[in-house]
Amino acid sequence: MFMKDYEKLINLKKIIIYPLLFIIICSYFSFILLIAYYPNWLSQKIFDSSISYGIAYGFFLIFLIFLVTLVYVYLSNKLIEPIVKRI
Amino acid sequence: MNIIAVSMFFCFVLLTLYITYWAAKQIRNRDSFYTAGGNITGFQNGLAISGDFMSAASFLGISGLVFASGFDGLIYSIGFLVGWPIVLLIIAEPLRNLGKYTFADVASYRLKQKPIRILSAFGSLATVVLYLIAQMVGAGKLIQILFNLPYHVAVYIVGVLMILYVTFGGMIATTWVQIIKAILLLFGATLISVLVMWKYNFNLNIFFDTAINYHRLSEQITAPGALIKDPVSAISLGLALMFGTAGLPHILMRFFTVKDSIQARRSVAFATGFIGYFYILTFIIGFGAIILVSTNPVYLNADGDLLGNNNMAAIHLAHAVGGDILLGFISAVAFATILAVVSGLTLAGASAISHDIFSNVIQPNNKDEKKELNVSRIASVFLGVIAIGLGIIFENQNIAFMVGLAFAIAASTNFPIIFLSMYWKKLTTHGAFYGGIIGLVTTIALVILSPVVWVDVFQFPTAIFPYKYPALFSMSTTFIFVILISLADKSPQAKKERAKFNDQFYRSISGKGIEQGKGH
Repeated sequence: MFMKDYEKLINLKKIIIYPLLFIIICSYFSFILLIAYYPNWLSQKIFDSSISYGIAYGFFLIFLIFLVTLVYVYLSNKLIEPIVKRI
Repeated sequence: MNIIAVSMFFCFVLLTLYITYWAAKQIRNRDSFYTAGGNITGFQNGLAISGDFMSAASFLGISGLVFASGFDGLIYSIGFLVGWPIVLLIIAEPLRNLGKYTFADVASYRLKQKPIRILSAFGSLATVVLYLIAQMVGAGKLIQILFNLPYHVAVYIVGVLMILYVTFGGMIATTWVQIIKAILLLFGATLISVLVMWKYNFNLNIFFDTAINYHRLSEQITAPGALIKDPVSAISLGLALMFGTAGLPHILMRFFTVKDSIQARRSVAFATGFIGYFYILTFIIGFGAIILVSTNPVYLNADGDLLGNNNMAAIHLAHAVGGDILLGFISAVAFATILAVVSGLTLAGASAISHDIFSNVIQPNNKDEKKELNVSRIASVFLGVIAIGLGIIFENQNIAFMVGLAFAIAASTNFPIIFLSMYWKKLTTHGAFYGGIIGLVTTIALVILSPVVWVDVFQFPTAIFPYKYPALFSMSTTFIFVILISLADKSPQAKKERAKFNDQFYRSISGKGIEQGKGH
């Protein structure tokens, strides 16, 4: 029973952490690579506004980073904590 | 001299000294000195962590960078922010579950105490001292402009107050000073931003449009500029910022001030929210300054440059939208920010000296808590005096590379050691120690040979190492050497260390066996 719970805990942690880590690393490095290789794309304006894709993507990233931390805390409290309490 | 700024600053100092007095009465043992007894809540710790990140350098520096070149400021702020999910997902909980006072507790959990403590303490102290010098010099210059005080007087005031907070109030005072300052700074920055956006009916489109029209770079301020010139630099800076945060000792020590890993998680979520919000504000402040400060001759010198320098953009903007009162408030908050950040740094350095070096290397059998506490206090005073001395020595030196170097060491030495000790079973003492030293030396060498030191400081015509940011190379060097040396290590000691991994891993994710907020 104990080993089963422990294995479940490790698997669950992986299921939660890997996708979130993947989202963060991909979205951040795509930002960095856009800056390095396609700065002109980032300078284009969205429709007729004066806000560039770069600024919009930057603000989106700030929001996304915060969202990922919230999702992680929520899932951990909901799914991980009950198992940790059991073992 | 601005009377409002001075009187507000006095109020802050009186309040914080009272807190220090209150904290000093509660400090009875090591727990309360290093970790505030583990009684800080997730929300409070989130504020304190965000306070560590919202330094005067990032408030004034990033809004100044946005003022000068727009979008480039955003690259830095996002880099600083993206370190947080990394800390949350892979570092925070195991760190809380395995460590007690310093990150060396975690790194040396199953490895040999002496070499690993020495290496970790060296990594901590290098990061802390570089950061301290940068903060002290920045503080001296800033206070010189804000309060018309001579440079060395400003450095003395900061140094002495910081020694008082840390030596008498330990982590309790350091945390509360940081929390109060974080609230004041968030409030002040919000107020400036709202007053600026109010003029544009909170319409971002018109706001950016106006800024583009006034700026000499015009359209280019909404796109990547001079900060990053080639892909290697872009990736290297990205790596340093992303993983550097997870290796900063003054940040990591805050995870020991909360009760358990649940609160550690909450701290990071709150901190990320506050820091992200704050960076959005610095962006608005920078653009606001382009519109309201760069067009007003009151804030410019004869050459059309900003009075003071670009880092004064936020301060001038406070005056432009809120008159002398807001200027005074923001100046006082900027001063308070410096005090709070240097206190945290000093405490992190002092605990590396007393807990890692003294109690585990010099007198490995020392069980006397009082003695370690006294060593820690002496170390705080010692670090404070060094910070004052170095602050004065480096007054007219080019120190732009120092925070970059601190981040590079954190990402290339501290982070790999912490990460591998937590997650890689085959890590051995030899691998961590020699690999860590090779990584540390490589980082320092690459920074010295890079344009920021070789050309800007030593005045050589061309740099030997062409890139400004070494992390891509130094981080990989550390990881490769730590892994290769560990794999080659066939000693009986290594076998024992690998055998202990499963128990360590169990504790790191379950938190069973940790000491939490006891003894109260």
